[in-house]
Amino acid sequence: MAKYGGWAGKVLRVDLSTGRMSTDDTVEQYKDYLGGTGIGYKVIWDEVQAGTKPFDPENKIVFGVGPLAGTGAPCNGRTAITTLWPTCWPRPLVASGHMGGHFAAELKYAGYDAIIIEGKADHPVWLSVMDGRTEIKDARQLWGQGIRRSTIEINQQMGPEATVAAIGQAGENLVPMSVVMNSYSHSAGGVGGVMGSKNLKAIGVRGTGSVRIAGNKEEWEKAIKLHLSLLGANNQNVVPNSPQPWAEHYNAGSRWMASAGRRWGASDPNIDTGACEPHNLNRIAYRTNNAAFFLGDKAWQYTVRGNGCTACPIRCHTMLKVPAVAAKYGIPEVGQNTCVGLLFGKAFFKTFPDGPRGQTAIEACMVGMHLADDLGIWENYGQLQRDFQALYYNGIFGRKVAEKEFKSYSWDKYEEGDPTFLFELLPKIANKQGELATALGLGTGYLLERWGIPEQEWLENHELLYWKFGHPKHHSNEDAGQCGVIINTQYNRDAQCHSHSNFTRNGLPLEVQKRLAVELWGAPDAVDGVADFTPMNVYKAKMAKWSLLRKELHDCLSLCNWMGPWVASPLRERDYRGEDSIESLLYSLATGDRKSRQELDQVAERIFLLHRALTIRDMGTKEMRTKHDTIPHWVFADPKDRAAFSKGTIRMDRDDIKLAMDMYYEEMAWDKQTGSPTRETYRRLGLETVADELAKRGLLT
Amino acid sequence: MEQEPKICTNILKIIHARSESGQLVRVEEILAELKEQGFLESEDVEQKAHLETTLKQVLKENRDLKAISGKNGIPYYYSAQSLSETYAGILVRKSENPLWLIAEVVRENSQLYPRPVPVDSFLEPPFGLTREEIAECLTTMREQREYQDIARTITSVGTPFLYSTQHLDPDHAFTLAEWLDVGQVNNP
Repeated sequence: MAKYGGWAGKVLRVDLSTGRMSTDDTVEQYKDYLGGTGIGYKVIWDEVQAGTKPFDPENKIVFGVGPLAGTGAPCNGRTAITTLWPTCWPRPLVASGHMGGHFAAELKYAGYDAIIIEGKADHPVWLSVMDGRTEIKDARQLWGQGIRRSTIEINQQMGPEATVAAIGQAGENLVPMSVVMNSYSHSAGGVGGVMGSKNLKAIGVRGTGSVRIAGNKEEWEKAIKLHLSLLGANNQNVVPNSPQPWAEHYNAGSRWMASAGRRWGASDPNIDTGACEPHNLNRIAYRTNNAAFFLGDKAWQYTVRGNGCTACPIRCHTMLKVPAVAAKYGIPEVGQNTCVGLLFGKAFFKTFPDGPRGQTAIEACMVGMHLADDLGIWENYGQLQRDFQALYYNGIFGRKVAEKEFKSYSWDKYEEGDPTFLFELLPKIANKQGELATALGLGTGYLLERWGIPEQEWLENHELLYWKFGHPKHHSNEDAGQCGVIINTQYNRDAQCHSHSNFTRNGLPLEVQKRLAVELWGAPDAVDGVADFTPMNVYKAKMAKWSLLRKELHDCLSLCNWMGPWVASPLRERDYRGEDSIESLLYSLATGDRKSRQELDQVAERIFLLHRALTIRDMGTKEMRTKHDTIPHWVFADPKDRAAFSKGTIRMDRDDIKLAMDMYYEEMAWDKQTGSPTRETYRRLGLETVADELAKRGLLT
Repeated sequence: MEQEPKICTNILKIIHARSESGQLVRVEEILAELKEQGFLESEDVEQKAHLETTLKQVLKENRDLKAISGKNGIPYYYSAQSLSETYAGILVRKSENPLWLIAEVVRENSQLYPRPVPVDSFLEPPFGLTREEIAECLTTMREQREYQDIARTITSVGTPFLYSTQHLDPDHAFTLAEWLDVGQVNNP
């Protein structure tokens, strides 16, 4: 191990049934899988039998981080949590949730690259991991407490520097729609119930060690400075939101919100975000204000600052201080989150008395964050709230829930956009109180099944954004045409892939994007303008493959795929190029295991292939094209019945998408007929034993 | 003439300083500043002609310095170290004619990215127009032939955007405006 840097060197294994703890050598056992989801898939493949259910003690949950976690590489704060997924319908399959915050770095400093949790404790426990010393502690006094209080109590025992990843009441009660959360706002959805099923309330980690960098220190510093110079704002938006003196381009849809006169109004003294010229690396943290992006100009007056993960200067969790909510709702004035976490409360409501960007909408966000981030409820990329609206306004709640229960909710408040409604609903979801809340907590697929609603209705409704297996789309055709569609067919939950959308949304002119596409994927035709899509071509398939592998690579290295990849930049002198080799450069220097971009992408391909193999094994079929890689009907419809490829529509064409899938399978060297990888592909990527196992089960093409 | 190198240096400083504060500068303004600094005795035609020659020399020797002209042909100067051509173009149009400013910004965005422009973005710096000025411009545009390509589309939440029909058709413009205003927030 000593020859490598980057990795801490050990994987911690804790069997909660027996209390036995052991360690594995990371490099010996998992180097070919890097870390993060790589370790997760490997453990599930090797150690969890097909047919295991998410809440069975035999299921395992893997908290995996990568060789770049805890280094100085930007955006290295991601922890991948891999397990059998409780909301994956109609059968659970492998998936991973991802949390930022400080857990990943702290785990490395404590001496571990991953924690594998096995079995089930006979009473509530929490795990203390402190500089290589691990203890299973009694959590009976914490059981029933929210995430905040649990975090505080564990911090009191371990010290303020410890990072605590805890579940709330939702996870304890085995609500499938539940999260684990660290650092108060950084959550991984879907896995709270799996922890709850093991009677595991929390994991506290504290380390005083460091991560060794194997390579030349000057080269390492240079690589980090290069990486920092390529950063844009949140989601790698590389142009500002409004014209800036230095900027050649701007985009009203950019999250790079900083501008002279736009001030963090709730900081004391308040701070002018200013022009944020891209070469001034000390101003990166001022660029993004997700509250202002999502909630409008009013959010500036409530902005304290940006918060975020280890070594990430983007600070996408905008901290808000809204004094009115203390008196009105009895909740703290301060809250923070990003994207769907920020919008958790607001998204339940169709209307607000003062409009979608008024004071009430902001207050709904504050109430939502306060409740959901303490109870530990997951929103499934907004599907919970979209389902809720559809179920209410289509009268389904009224039909499926007993009259007395239905009437117990203040629907008048709900329709008026009164945030106090959330106090009625969210604790009930977390505590499985009543039919309505219990069903919502199951996730879309199991809810539809429980209430006898055909999935078809959800598959046809574009507004619901539902994709398959109980989960929504996540950056599909609306962002990147056929490439987005392909990506959304590949996972067992929402795809969580940003490699493609962070490119198409970067804000640069289409002509510049096409120029970069030539270098990245071989032709300008890989990318189209928004709602101006062209028929499928092989370069789009190459972009889809690249996007998926880069996402998987980030999830294994602990880099943030919500921020990357970094193949475009704000730098005019680079013609807005980023650096397609930044991951391999950082990996090689950190670990000392020199790998080119192509070689590292091949490792990512191996890991992604293992995910595919696990899915095939646990579905018990090799007919992936027809049984797994499915596409909802709304993708092929248009509200004005415009033809696919006409300007203004995101509608896709069925035959063209068949061709897209053909081309994608060819790029992956998978069988086109079944969508399953071939033996040759498994062999080429070093997974022949996996192929053997599938062959034994009759699942190899 | 022994002051010539100093004048060159000061011209450079004036242009750089203005650019750093986000402004363009005209010959008259350079002349006035040099006079204040004691380099010129008057602003007569001869002095101005001489200054223009010197300025040309300074521009030639300093590749970051750029000239940009408005509709009336008057040149403005700036340093590309601090100001982009895009920003300089906005400042020129703003100083000359808000109607032209709005139309050209809308046309550029519709062609280049392509995307429509939120009407309210013209309230913000560097445009800095008032709501009344914007409304007046849009009314006038409807009556003038040279602006007939500037059209309006309104998103599902009521936000107005402008686009140029030279580069975007109405359906596409609406979809793009909806994407900017609603779609990206609902698909984070």
